[in-house]
Amino acid sequence: MEFLIISTLNGVIYGLLLFMVSAGLTLIFGMMGILNFAHASFYMLGAYLAYALSPIIGFWGGILVAPLLVGLFGMLTERYLLRRVHAHGHAHELLLTFGLALIIAEVVKLFFGDFPVAYQIPDDLRFAAFSVFGTDYPFYRVFIGTVAVAMFVVLWLLLSRTRVGIVVRAAERLPEIAEALGHNIPVVFMCVFGAGAALAGLAGAVAGAFYPTNPNMAAELGVIVFVVVVVGGLGSLKGSLLASLLIGLFSSFAVGIDLSLANLLGLIGLGDWARSVGGLLTTEVSSISGTIPFALMLLVLLVRPAGLMGERN
Amino acid sequence: MRGRNKDRERRDIRKTRRKSLKHILKTTAAAAALVVAAPAVHAEPLKIGIIESLSGAQTSTGRLFAAGVKFGIDQINAEGGFNGEPIEVVEYDNAGGATEAADKFRQAAADGVNIVIQGASSAIAGQITEDVRKHNIRNPGNEILFMNIGAEAMELTGEKCHFYHFRFTTTAPMRVNALTNAMGQAGELGTKVMSMNQNYSWGQDMQAAIAAAAENNNYQVVDEVLHDVNKIQDFAPFVARIKSAEPDTVITGNWSNDLLLLMKASGDAGLDVRFGTAFLDQPGNLANAGATALGHYIANNYDNSAGSEEFAEEYKSAIGHYPRFVEPQAAFAAGMLGEALAGLDFGGGEVNVTDIALALENAAYESPIGTISVRAEDHQTIRPVVVSKVVENATYPADDTEMGFQSVAVVPAEQAIYPVQESCSMERPG
Repeated sequence: MEFLIISTLNGVIYGLLLFMVSAGLTLIFGMMGILNFAHASFYMLGAYLAYALSPIIGFWGGILVAPLLVGLFGMLTERYLLRRVHAHGHAHELLLTFGLALIIAEVVKLFFGDFPVAYQIPDDLRFAAFSVFGTDYPFYRVFIGTVAVAMFVVLWLLLSRTRVGIVVRAAERLPEIAEALGHNIPVVFMCVFGAGAALAGLAGAVAGAFYPTNPNMAAELGVIVFVVVVVGGLGSLKGSLLASLLIGLFSSFAVGIDLSLANLLGLIGLGDWARSVGGLLTTEVSSISGTIPFALMLLVLLVRPAGLMGERN
Repeated sequence: MRGRNKDRERRDIRKTRRKSLKHILKTTAAAAALVVAAPAVHAEPLKIGIIESLSGAQTSTGRLFAAGVKFGIDQINAEGGFNGEPIEVVEYDNAGGATEAADKFRQAAADGVNIVIQGASSAIAGQITEDVRKHNIRNPGNEILFMNIGAEAMELTGEKCHFYHFRFTTTAPMRVNALTNAMGQAGELGTKVMSMNQNYSWGQDMQAAIAAAAENNNYQVVDEVLHDVNKIQDFAPFVARIKSAEPDTVITGNWSNDLLLLMKASGDAGLDVRFGTAFLDQPGNLANAGATALGHYIANNYDNSAGSEEFAEEYKSAIGHYPRFVEPQAAFAAGMLGEALAGLDFGGGEVNVTDIALALENAAYESPIGTISVRAEDHQTIRPVVVSKVVENATYPADDTEMGFQSVAVVPAEQAIYPVQESCSMERPG
């Protein structure tokens, strides 16, 4: 019982963190079809900028200003870099963002060094929100989850209930017609990209204090963010939320499961043989908990390639 | 009009070709004359290739290994080098991957490197040691020596052992035995120990060593976990597992994020366990973990608080900071090479790597915490192990914080060493 509740709690919070980082990517990919490899780098930039700004304008100041700066950087990237490559197709955009990711990683190392930096939660936020079965649940984790939920709600309301949202969705569907109606489509795209980058920056600023802020952040989180987007359905915000929660829960539960294929085979009497073979048959689920998201992605791609809530096109 | 320009171009090209041909002949003649006329003043330098993780995820560690080696070699060169020439050191970046390392080894071999040095990954060392072994079989007389200054997987002095590989660092059993011994003596080990490690050669070695040391140190292993290497972002589920096992101490060989996230998660959950680690002194860990790190233990090759001030100050004036993390063991390895070279004389002629290896087998290096010598059966160095604790107001503070390590015990070399593995059957030359 304890295992169930704790794992669910951990899984949900971790899933919400993943959603927070991948929301921007879903937005950008859904709206513009650009697979932004540099998205995790924006996340890292947000963390480092918040770290650099917090001694000057305080922790909360850092969290507010860093995403704005990253958003600005995103807008400039779209306006001066991506727009030139747009005409040549998606492959070129992908290569450009990939190169950008590498450059950002090295520039960060140049300014902040190779080692993790001490971007810490301020002491007054370091308390336990509640206690579950004797284990304290840090308030900051709950805070991260709240920010993620708020992000989802704000984005969803923005896209479905406001004029801006309608223009953005029209620009995604039929850009020429929307342009013919007088909307400035290039500016819309630039703002959407900037918004996506700002979301990644916010995720970085908030999560960077909790998880170590180091030059490898982008590489570590980058892959899993793509898994979330693919599993959820490219462009679907709800799908992204669902996929993040699923991945969080699966990874969390897997850690407590010490079963392997040998145990399964033991049910039909082949347990000892499986154990003597060893290798993959005796690999416990708990030792591959980090690989579960990728297995999930494989499954989804085989069974439902458009993603859990993606459109079939 | 165009045709005429083309003719002129062709004539110009022919002229420049003739001119450059003349030029080439002139310079070749001059060079040949120089080579024949000048006497052989140039002796054969010893070439060392550092094949390290200088980019990618393990850059920070790789750069420290390179810095430590360079410090040691600079000291040898300051005293005249070897064989009449300064020792040449070349860096090759293996980008943190075994395939790239294999590539760079081929390049180093082509560049005439005599000694290859590496330390930042057991996986990469496994690749390099095999490449070195095969190279030496195919090129008798032109052997390459592999100085392993950081890879601690047991197999490197076990089934993968060979005459031209030397390990200048500890291994999992050395660390675990020293750790459990010292923590037990300090009364901070308890009777229930949990093993939390990464699922690859090093982590599996740690798990086996923790299980093996249980009887001698009066504890029982309450749970064992192996997890993916550097993929896990959220250690909360693992902390939940620790909580349900209720150990007094968790012993882990985790490094980088895996260690930092584990400790932070357990600190945040208010878990009352002691951590015994192998890599807590990695730069950035103490600053990031903050007060959570206080009171935890580490077993490693060296700590400034256990050694002499002299070495620390010398290093600081040469490199700019006190030696940290893996820099000392790298410097000691270079120092040991210096000891071996001091007894050799090739008279300025070709460098004989087999002789260097034989000399290394008999070398003894006086490090600030004790003598380091080589065991001939598997080329593991017999060396002391330091066990330290994280304290406030340390003598050598780490990461711009007030915290640092204070040594609790120095386990002497003879006590720390592990028995030769049966899987090692070393073929000796000649």
